[in-house]
Amino acid sequence: MFKYAVSLIFRRKLRTLLTSLGITIAVMLMTFILFGMTDLQRAILTQFSSVFKPTDLYVSSQDFTMMGGMMSAPTKEEEEKEEVIINNDIKDEIEDIDGVENVYPMFMITGFDVYLEGDDTPYPTNFVQSVNLSGNDEMYREFQGDNPVLGKEGIFVSKFVSSFFEISQQDIIGKSIFLKSVPQTSFVSGANRNVLGKEYEFKVQGVVDTSSDAFWINTQKALDILVDTGGFVDEDEYLDLIGYSQLLVTTQEEKTLDVEEYMTGEMGLNVISSKTVVEFISTLTSGLTIALIVFGSISALVASIGIINTMIMSIYEQTREIGIIKAIGASNTQVLLIFLIQAGLIGLIGGILGLAISYALMQITDPFLVEVLQEQGFNAIEKFFYFQQLNAIYITLGSILVGIVAGVYPSMKAAKLDPVKALRYE
Amino acid sequence: MSYVQIENLKREYVMNKEVLVEALRGVTFNIEKREIISVVGASGSGKSTLLNILGGLDRGYTGKVMIDERDVKEYNPNFYRRHIVGTIFQQFYLIPSLSVEENILLPMKFTGDKDIEVKKRLDYLLDMVGLEKRRKHFPKELSGGEAQRVAIARSLIDTPKIVLADEPTGNLDSKTGDSIVNLLKEVNKKEEVTVILVTHDRSIAKKTERVITLVDGKNV
Repeated sequence: MFKYAVSLIFRRKLRTLLTSLGITIAVMLMTFILFGMTDLQRAILTQFSSVFKPTDLYVSSQDFTMMGGMMSAPTKEEEEKEEVIINNDIKDEIEDIDGVENVYPMFMITGFDVYLEGDDTPYPTNFVQSVNLSGNDEMYREFQGDNPVLGKEGIFVSKFVSSFFEISQQDIIGKSIFLKSVPQTSFVSGANRNVLGKEYEFKVQGVVDTSSDAFWINTQKALDILVDTGGFVDEDEYLDLIGYSQLLVTTQEEKTLDVEEYMTGEMGLNVISSKTVVEFISTLTSGLTIALIVFGSISALVASIGIINTMIMSIYEQTREIGIIKAIGASNTQVLLIFLIQAGLIGLIGGILGLAISYALMQITDPFLVEVLQEQGFNAIEKFFYFQQLNAIYITLGSILVGIVAGVYPSMKAAKLDPVKALRYE
Repeated sequence: MSYVQIENLKREYVMNKEVLVEALRGVTFNIEKREIISVVGASGSGKSTLLNILGGLDRGYTGKVMIDERDVKEYNPNFYRRHIVGTIFQQFYLIPSLSVEENILLPMKFTGDKDIEVKKRLDYLLDMVGLEKRRKHFPKELSGGEAQRVAIARSLIDTPKIVLADEPTGNLDSKTGDSIVNLLKEVNKKEEVTVILVTHDRSIAKKTERVITLVDGKNV
């Protein structure tokens, strides 16, 4: 019976192929959605884990946190959380938590125009991050340069910055960078404050191999600037009123979770860990995947209408043959099955074609995609598309199911044909 | 008691929701076991209607049709079509994408029986219809006479009690037609089946043991 059903669909090869193409397109869409989103998640996590150790925790004064160019939106709980000033008391308390290895303070400076020596065009962003690499050159593993110890007069720039100023990464080293605070700007590291007009000069000490558009200066220097431009008496006043922008807390491997729980629970701090980021990325990509699957399902629906049409055409053409097989003993259920097998096979052909074409396209486009991603800072990515057997099985089963569901109505129509009328059909 | 008893068989159709057509108007005759008979009549005389009823395809009749002392309506229609009757059509109706032996075995696919005897039966039937060397061929590679022989073998694969042949020579030249009738007679003898041959060709009908003539839905 199966062979007979197969023989029916191959009797009209071109029509079967064209009908299957509807499923093929739907499968290609689904494949790129399912494979692509999983691969994207993997790529982000690979990149993320290359710069963010699982034992690192970031404590932030702000609900909205930026780190390493990665952004995460606040959760409802975070929105309700009162803002905590991360001062030295907090820093000291964290240092005393069991399992904490080191605590590195960090500042984010905004409200500055940034100029390169001999160039009047300001850099179009005014975001400067502070970092203290002294004694901890693994803190930012993406950093490259001859001297990773960032002094007070030094500044690191991203390779994106060097490309903006149209100067090579080698030539920009040693050049002066000027940070000019704009008077009346009332935003200093998250707090309202009148900012005084000041200018600071730095020498480019290294270029960071990332496309994230940022500058990095010494932490103590950043604090000096913030105190200076904000008109604070001294750094103690600044830290008491405004505090650190972030603390990087390094922990012992088995204590990371305990430290995180203590800081969020007992101390009420905003903590970002690799775990929370992984969860966030998973939630984000899962949500996106579902939304895209809904979109892809529309194409599957269109394809199924094509199958219904083909199957109904096929029934008209095979009406007499249905009469014959009924006359030689086929029951209504067997006729139904024959047509459902045909519909399922059309789905299967479309599914396999779609997977094969998608796989070929993925192989062809993968090197280009990896290159683009690496240019965008995903330098840990070596391969983007991976063949996912389980998803391939789901997609194939899904395409068979679409075929069968689309074939239900035509198959029932065929099964119910009166054999006498079917035999007389011209 | 006769093997096939047809008594006051009537079949009416309503055409276009208004016009009543009386296809059979009280047909009555008997057929003995292992008899080979022909039913003749002009177009519209009710031959095909009678064949559909005997083939278990049409149950909307009144009157009585008994096979082996059992009312046809008492049989499960699928069982009846699989095991009681085998049908041969004017246009052979072989499945073009299946080989000769696959076509012959097709009815067995619907019975679900996986009898190892089926293979022997296939070989025997291919030998009987003279197509043992054509078993792997496809219908398009066969002549009309060969195709009808395949159809005869197909009708016999599940050892039916009755073979119904609807104008089996209608699409064949007279010489080939004769050979088909001779084959049906051979089948009748060797297989001990009852053969009911429907034809409009009286010269063909005369070759059978008995002729039933239908005129306007009645046997005369």
